[in-house]
Amino acid sequence: MSSLVGFLSLVFAIGINFYLFLSRYIFKFQKQKFNLFIRFSSLLTLLSFFSLMYAYVVSDFSNYNVFQNSHSNKPLIYKISGTWGNHEGSMLLWLCILSIFSFFFSFTKNIEDNFQKLTLIIQGFLHILFGLFIVFTSNPFLVNSILVNEGLGLNPILQDPGLAVHPPILYAGYVGYSIVFSIAIAGLFQNTDDEWIYVAKKWSLISWTFLTGGIALGSYWAYYELGWGGWWFWDPVENISLMPWIAGLALVHSLMMVRGEQAIKKWIVFLSILCFSLSVFGTFLVRSGILTSVHSFAADASRGIFILLIFFIVTGFGFLVFLLKEPKKSNALNLLFINKVSALVINNILMIIATLTILLGTIYPIIIEVLYNKRISVGGPYFNSTVIPIMIPGFLLMSIAPILSWQTNKINNSKKYVLAFIILSVLVILQSYFLDFNTWGFVGLLLGFWIILASIIAIFSSYKIKINIKFFKIINPHVAHIGVGIAIIGITCSSVFQNELDFNLNEGDKFNVNGKIVLFEKIETTNEINFQSLRGKFLFDIEKNQSKEIEAGKNYYPVSKMITSEAGILHQWNKDIYFILGDQKNNEWFVKVLINPFVSFIWLGVIIMMYSGLIAVSRR
Amino acid sequence: MNRIFILTPLIVLLIICIFSLVYLLSGKDPNKPPSALLNKDVPIFESSSLYNEKDIIKTKDIKNKKTLINFFASWCSPCKIEHPLFFEIRKKYPELYLLGINHKDPTSDAKKYLKDDGNPYDFVGLDSDGLIALEFGVFGLPETYLINEDGKIIYKFMGPITMDILKNEIEPLL
Repeated sequence: MSSLVGFLSLVFAIGINFYLFLSRYIFKFQKQKFNLFIRFSSLLTLLSFFSLMYAYVVSDFSNYNVFQNSHSNKPLIYKISGTWGNHEGSMLLWLCILSIFSFFFSFTKNIEDNFQKLTLIIQGFLHILFGLFIVFTSNPFLVNSILVNEGLGLNPILQDPGLAVHPPILYAGYVGYSIVFSIAIAGLFQNTDDEWIYVAKKWSLISWTFLTGGIALGSYWAYYELGWGGWWFWDPVENISLMPWIAGLALVHSLMMVRGEQAIKKWIVFLSILCFSLSVFGTFLVRSGILTSVHSFAADASRGIFILLIFFIVTGFGFLVFLLKEPKKSNALNLLFINKVSALVINNILMIIATLTILLGTIYPIIIEVLYNKRISVGGPYFNSTVIPIMIPGFLLMSIAPILSWQTNKINNSKKYVLAFIILSVLVILQSYFLDFNTWGFVGLLLGFWIILASIIAIFSSYKIKINIKFFKIINPHVAHIGVGIAIIGITCSSVFQNELDFNLNEGDKFNVNGKIVLFEKIETTNEINFQSLRGKFLFDIEKNQSKEIEAGKNYYPVSKMITSEAGILHQWNKDIYFILGDQKNNEWFVKVLINPFVSFIWLGVIIMMYSGLIAVSRR
Repeated sequence: MNRIFILTPLIVLLIICIFSLVYLLSGKDPNKPPSALLNKDVPIFESSSLYNEKDIIKTKDIKNKKTLINFFASWCSPCKIEHPLFFEIRKKYPELYLLGINHKDPTSDAKKYLKDDGNPYDFVGLDSDGLIALEFGVFGLPETYLINEDGKIIYKFMGPITMDILKNEIEPLL
């Protein structure tokens, strides 16, 4: 029953969008009436999604999708997240978020009626494309032809709180770019004043913030769930999310230039189209199963061709409009040797080069396989040796960019900066000399600390310190950059200075980690609701009274016959101690301990960046 | 000049779409992901025989001979489909060592399965807890690995092997 409601409301929602799209009198519609249609269609899509969720919650196995991906033994939260833990449901979530964005956009004030209508019609067009995709190739409301009383279960790797929220947040980022895309195209068609740029800025910041959160959550999940001790693997699916993220970052920064009355409309429109195109392209790559990665999704060629078609239509349409309706000539850019505009332009160019480099590395295996019929995989070494050097000049520039002037070459307080840089360099050189020297470590630390230091100097020397909301809005760009600096330090330390220790242990053995004695207490197996768990219990630093307990082990999921590893992580502010329980051989357990310095800085940096994104939304 | 700049995205789009389309239409098999273990040494493992617990096979036992390792289970229906092919292989390549790894299966079921359908393997090793499969990076059953005399994995296939795959992909390596 709920499946029927879900399917009908989905079809009805697509129908409304069809009607609006084809109606020739759309611009004669009253704004109120038009918005009512849009909101109604959004609510119907939402209803459709919640019907599916309901089917999951009550374990309605007469729905084929629920039967395939759920199990009545699962805890409630994973029944709910099971809704989007599979291809069909996640595509419905995608459509649902698209609708939610349209819904909220329909409330935007201060923009011209026709412009708003056109934007929403383009959104409606996207809704139709993806809606048809769901109905014809990925219908989550199919009826199960056999009578069953139990489901086949959900991929156990997905039974994790971090992963329950990761897809919706990530999708909010991806799909959020749809509204930026629609705004840009509507802006091209109407070619009105530049008011739309301010609207686009708000929405691109929202999308970017969500995308940042989504990527970070996924990365954090990989860190503690996959048990490989790392948080980024240059996996194709990760690259796919990184491309719109970097392009979005370039977009947010370009939109900043509007404030300096140097509208570079053409570039902004280009980036707006690019961001959403990369999002759709990512959806295509993941959903067609064309690339193999740790994110193993069901592959189906017909789906792949359908999304490829959508990608072609959306991107082709976007860039074609861009070609034909080129924005009118804007003011020439005020490029000086070193002013804010030139810094922003250089930063934009670097970000686009980085995006293209990642794109090339990601699709290279496809090209090679088509041309030479060989299967290759492009991984970490390529990306580390190309993307990172491209980004470094950008990082250097960003440390001082916020204090550059719009109009002149002058840098205020330049002496202070030079002095600070020299002192910092000496300190980092000393640090590298006395501890182990590593070129990347040196560069990373210097960059990270320099960005933080330069931003702090800028805050203290350029503004009067006050504690109020306005002040936090003014210093927001610097705060964002401090976040980046902190993240760079975290990334550098955890990847360059990671330390690995291997042990073969019996229960009751003591061993030394980083100068602290650790006791391997015991192995424990327990039966949970939907899995069996095997846990090694460790006591860290037993010489102190407050020794800490760490559990590392594996879960075995009988329904899907899968084993997942559960790393035991002791978080300290300056390092994570990461325990992985291996296999038992000759009565000894293999235990791997990784010492990851300053990992927490990555998450802290990301949180600061997201905070800045949100503050920037409210700032005009 | 300006026109070319604006045309570039469309050209790039076209190239990407054409390559992707050719890829999709060429029927490439996503069931054959490149294994991280390909061209690497066989993981270290040991497994006791299905028929005699004390009879143990270790990694070093399969060195110096070409070995085909097949992960199977009685509950896996695609395994049943490929099963007869191993008799074919057995007959054609008597030198090839056929190692069956029985994955997460009650021994009684496994024995019954091999009794009903016949046992083509030189040795049937047990992997009741699935740890050997974990070492090999098995995604799902059945999976087949070919190991050369130096103990390196030279071929991997996910899913049931067929006559075509045997002829075109495995035989050239034997």
